[in-house]
Amino acid sequence: MKAELLKGHLDALILAALERGPLHGYAVMETLRESSGGQLDLPTGTIYPALHRLEAAGLIAGSWSLVGGRRRRCYLLTQAGRKALSGRRADWREFARVISGVLEGSPWPATAS
Amino acid sequence: MASHRLVAHCRQDLLQRLPVEVAEEVADGLDDSYEEYLSRGLTPDQAATAALAEFGDPGQIVDAFRRASPVRRLARMLVLTGPLVGGWWAAALISSRAWDWSIPLSARLVAGPLVAASVALLMTALLSRRYQALQRAGIAGCLGVAALDAAVITTVMVLAPDGRWLFIVAACLSAVRLTFVARSLRRILVQAGM
Repeated sequence: MKAELLKGHLDALILAALERGPLHGYAVMETLRESSGGQLDLPTGTIYPALHRLEAAGLIAGSWSLVGGRRRRCYLLTQAGRKALSGRRADWREFARVISGVLEGSPWPATAS
Repeated sequence: MASHRLVAHCRQDLLQRLPVEVAEEVADGLDDSYEEYLSRGLTPDQAATAALAEFGDPGQIVDAFRRASPVRRLARMLVLTGPLVGGWWAAALISSRAWDWSIPLSARLVAGPLVAASVALLMTALLSRRYQALQRAGIAGCLGVAALDAAVITTVMVLAPDGRWLFIVAACLSAVRLTFVARSLRRILVQAGM
């Protein structure tokens, strides 16, 4: 999938990947890859800075742990992150409904004037 | 599991260009990728080459961190709002002939260089291609602006207590900026483990 198509959706994708439980950076990439059937193959240079940005915004929280003798930073969704994800899902459904209506030529829902 | 020399070289490259904690986190992802390719049956050389190809150029990763840096964003906000706050203070100080106030010569001599140094540090944070330099310059520049705001508010409260409206607005702008910078810096430093 073209990277430019993902612009504006990356944060929501990462929040969705973390919804089921805490993950480290590489696992977030793997989760997105697997849940999209290999279509979302995001580069490291995109995922890790985005994780740090989301943490700075308070939407996810990171913590270090020791796994197999290696230090590993895992992230989990905060309450604010869950709320943000819920909002992004609603926005996406509305966006997809409107754009699909235009691109597929279905009748535009009437609005009261 | 022992790492491959190419993977170790990339880790070293990241450690030189990013804070240790950030570099370790990113390099952990590279190790995971290398191990994943090994588990698929690739030789160590093939696995390292594949992992590094998937990982991407370390320079681009460092640049992505630089662009996403909250310190850089805070510095940009201060540079953009600086003329508004500074202009308001200038108008307030000129309208009340602040040069006649009894401010010690040492304070007058320090103020100008502190403003210039803070602006220079913030501009360095915005323009630097090096992540570590950006972080250091940005944090120092933000602290400089916070110190200036605190100093000018205190000075006006002591020397111009009659509360002309220009001063009240300027002090409010500085107080809001000071609070925002303090909260943002606290969050940044906590996240960086400082």
